[in-house]
Amino acid sequence: MVVTPVLSVRSVSKSFPGVRALDGVNMDVLPGEVHALLGENGAGKSTLMKIISGIIPKDDGEIFLDGKPVHFSSPRDALAAGIALVQQELSLVPYLSIAENVFLGRWPRKGIQVDWSAIVSGTQRLLERFGIQEDPRTPVGFLSVAEQQMVEILKAVSRPNIRLLLLDEPTSALSEDEVNRLFELISEIKKTGIGIIFISHKLNEALRIADRVTVLRDGRKVITEETSRLDERMLFEHLTGKPVAFLEAAHEGDHAGAAFALSLERFSVGGFVRDVTLKVREGEVFVLFGLVGSGRSTLARGLFGLERTEGKMVLGDRVVRPRSPQEAIALGIGYLPEDRRNALVYELPVFANITLAILSLVSRRGVLRIREEMRLAENFVQSLRIKTPNVLREVLYLSGGNQQKVLLARWLARKPKILIMDEPTRGIDVGAKFEIREMVRDLAREGLTILYITSEPVEAIEVADRIAVMRNGRIIRVFEHPKDVDKAMLLAVASGVS
Amino acid sequence: MPQYRVLAWRGGDLVSLLLKGGSLVGLIALSAVFALLSPYFFTLSNWLNIFRQVAVVLIAASAQTMVIITAGIDLSVGSVLALGGCLAAVAMSYWGWPFASGALLGLFFATLAGLANGTIIAKGKIPDFIATLGMLGAVRGIALLITGGLPVPSHFTATKLAGYLPESIVWLGSGHLGGIPVPMIFALLVVAVTWFILNRTTFGRSLYAVGGNREAARAAGINVDRVKILVYGVSGLYCGFAGLVLVGRMNSANALMAEGLELQTIAAVVIGGTNLFGGKGSVFGTLVGAILMGVLSNGLNLLNVEPFWQRVVNGLLIVAVVVFDQWRRRIVRD
Repeated sequence: MVVTPVLSVRSVSKSFPGVRALDGVNMDVLPGEVHALLGENGAGKSTLMKIISGIIPKDDGEIFLDGKPVHFSSPRDALAAGIALVQQELSLVPYLSIAENVFLGRWPRKGIQVDWSAIVSGTQRLLERFGIQEDPRTPVGFLSVAEQQMVEILKAVSRPNIRLLLLDEPTSALSEDEVNRLFELISEIKKTGIGIIFISHKLNEALRIADRVTVLRDGRKVITEETSRLDERMLFEHLTGKPVAFLEAAHEGDHAGAAFALSLERFSVGGFVRDVTLKVREGEVFVLFGLVGSGRSTLARGLFGLERTEGKMVLGDRVVRPRSPQEAIALGIGYLPEDRRNALVYELPVFANITLAILSLVSRRGVLRIREEMRLAENFVQSLRIKTPNVLREVLYLSGGNQQKVLLARWLARKPKILIMDEPTRGIDVGAKFEIREMVRDLAREGLTILYITSEPVEAIEVADRIAVMRNGRIIRVFEHPKDVDKAMLLAVASGVS
Repeated sequence: MPQYRVLAWRGGDLVSLLLKGGSLVGLIALSAVFALLSPYFFTLSNWLNIFRQVAVVLIAASAQTMVIITAGIDLSVGSVLALGGCLAAVAMSYWGWPFASGALLGLFFATLAGLANGTIIAKGKIPDFIATLGMLGAVRGIALLITGGLPVPSHFTATKLAGYLPESIVWLGSGHLGGIPVPMIFALLVVAVTWFILNRTTFGRSLYAVGGNREAARAAGINVDRVKILVYGVSGLYCGFAGLVLVGRMNSANALMAEGLELQTIAAVVIGGTNLFGGKGSVFGTLVGAILMGVLSNGLNLLNVEPFWQRVVNGLLIVAVVVFDQWRRRIVRD
């Protein structure tokens, strides 16, 4: 028996001035199927998603919903036909309850007033059906990001005629545990026969949740394949079009003899991170591994003077307590925050973002030496392979990976003693990810001490000289030899299973 | 793919010209219209007149540009101008101070008022427009107290008078140098200095950083509070100077002078393309914006339009420009 796909995309193309974003792409989503759509930034996955959900028109090709050709001129059309899109930025009203949000804009009426009991009981049924324990009357603003996302998904599937659910990077802000809950929800939705497109750049998650995977590269479809026939390595090759050269965990550095660059004794940050004691040696990549909410970012913010701290912090041989980023920087600490948006000034050009932390070094009595700034920036653009037409380009127009490199350049220009990097590879495409990890290793080899924060176990193992695992604001365990650690063990320690 | 669309708009077609150089195109178009309607408009003396009128607004608008680039707004410019001007005038005419010390006194207290604005905003962590709105009222009150609500100097207070205003301040406001109005020369000088600050100093770079992304500026080691306090201090200083120019032009100070200046400066800045939400802007844009406003008011005068209408036009112009600006951003983005 041939099953009619929920969605068929046939030779869809789309051009923007100067670029062919989609080139004759075909794709099918079957009823009850989770179909992962993978691709690096700029591969065309967002464009395809926007076309399917009616946000932008296609140039060419056809789209069928349940076998019938459809043509959308707005997201509203697509929604009416049964296609719902859940975007990264959620669109819930924080002061309204779960129930009110789920039925937003289509509240059932009783006479002229809203039928509240119908809304609440309807939502209650929905929550129970998908195994979510929340009171439908809770204001959405009180929920965690993960829970809000689930509400957003419920809102989509609660529509009576829903046929296809598009999830755009739904896991990007979630912890491991929350991802598991989300995946349970997705599995439940599958059973109802709705087709699901799961857009992601996390290969392991796609392999876990999807039935089939479609990979896009430079606007073309590379493959559609059943998940059971794929592994991470193959996916990576399809994504980048290059054979894999996974980083062999180098760990050549024997730092046992090196002096301590940073030591913390009973160091506490903001009442959450408590009694952290650790010693980081010069020229070492020290990984702080932990799930979201484990306190690693709080610790980093404390070290950089962004939070109140207690306890002893020794930098080299000086006892210090930075109370502002300004003081921390003067002490030789650099910091790449978890979210690039908190560090980049998007409307300033590349060169000005690179020199932002060294303004006093590229100026004389307050007057900037712009030529020197440019020269310095151009050197970094070359050595870090930052892809930008020139250093005058606003950072806004660079890709995530290149933005991250601009930040890296900012700190390298400052020549810090210690560089704290919080999730430096988050949200950037796979190629740039490996490049940045390689740079981290190179920098450590040249003597820079790096405190590297990540929640990806493979990344931790590959990049680290030593790994400390955090949970609930404390350091649970330190692994001296990352080579002997495996992914499962790290996760187990971090989530408290072991 | 937003970036490609931006490239497409740089094609050099008429639409993109209008979108990018909006204010300059507007200025030329407006001048052409007035030139057609009034034979007097395109004469040298009329243009010198426009520049003389625009000078005070331009000086204060240069300060407003810097403040708005930090994502702030200074509503107290008019009041601070009046404070500086009145103090200087009182010192010179009642107390018999010479020009230099009287002028310094006015500049000093105007700067102080600006620094107070900045300190309240940075340390009190309150929105810029609230702090400066409060200052707008308070400082105007102080100016009234100082002058007793009377023009300085005036015949009502003849008994207190030590003398009239010195020649120097009159020259500053209404003198000529080689046929060019002195206030215009100083205003252009202020624009040049502001350009230098914004583009060639660490302080100027910090202004853009703080306005573009406050958190990022802090994380890069910039002392955000200090930048904020300083920029309002500079704004106070500029306004004090504008006050001296205005007193010189009118040959008299008055606690209620330059009312509504905040609206005029904000209009000049916004017409000039500076982002009202911070992080982006240039003082040359403000120059064009201020001249455009001057041309508008001059042209309406020449056409015998009631002055009250000019307020209506100015108010609507601000709103129209911001709407236009938002629309332009949307087009360029998607």
